Amino acid sequence: MMGVESQLVHIAGQITLVLLTLAILIAFVRLFIGPDQADRIVALDLISVLIVAYLAALSIYTGQRSYLDVAIAYALIAFLGTVALARFRERLAKERGGSEDTDEEGK
Amino acid sequence: MHWQIDLFILTLVIVCALAAINVRDLLGAAVLFGAYSFLMCLLWAIMGAVDVAFTEASVGAGVSTVFFVAAVFQTTRRSKD
Repeated sequence: MMGVESQLVHIAGQITLVLLTLAILIAFVRLFIGPDQADRIVALDLISVLIVAYLAALSIYTGQRSYLDVAIAYALIAFLGTVALARFRERLAKERGGSEDTDEEGK
Repeated sequence: MHWQIDLFILTLVIVCALAAINVRDLLGAAVLFGAYSFLMCLLWAIMGAVDVAFTEASVGAGVSTVFFVAAVFQTTRRSKD
């Protein structure tokens, strides 16, 4: 008999998915309006972490294990992208002689 | 899955694509395109296409973001006109 526990897991999964979606939205606000490049990079890293959490919660909610494989590969690859972006930002700041303002493009 | 969450994430994908087109900064465009790939990976996973999500996570979110960043870094940032 599927008792109170599975119903509790179901409700908790729904609440978790909604809260993680709202968290992704809040991180997206920073990604869009972020005045500096570092803001955007940190927001992208935060979004990738939130999506890994979302995939794990989805795996619990639907009861399929295959989402966890996606989450593992995703966490590995998103780390690579963040490291590449951070290295690029560092070399760019060194080339400009330590000035941190990189936002006057296209003016 | 619930259609509200699907609709919300699809809206974020569209907004992210439009912002990646319209942003003036090249690295910002690369970052927004990476976010677009992330969201598409999440959307494939929600739709149940796990292997497509796997490929999108490895190719789209990882390798193409690194390649875009390398291309931006290898070229000059300011146009001459």
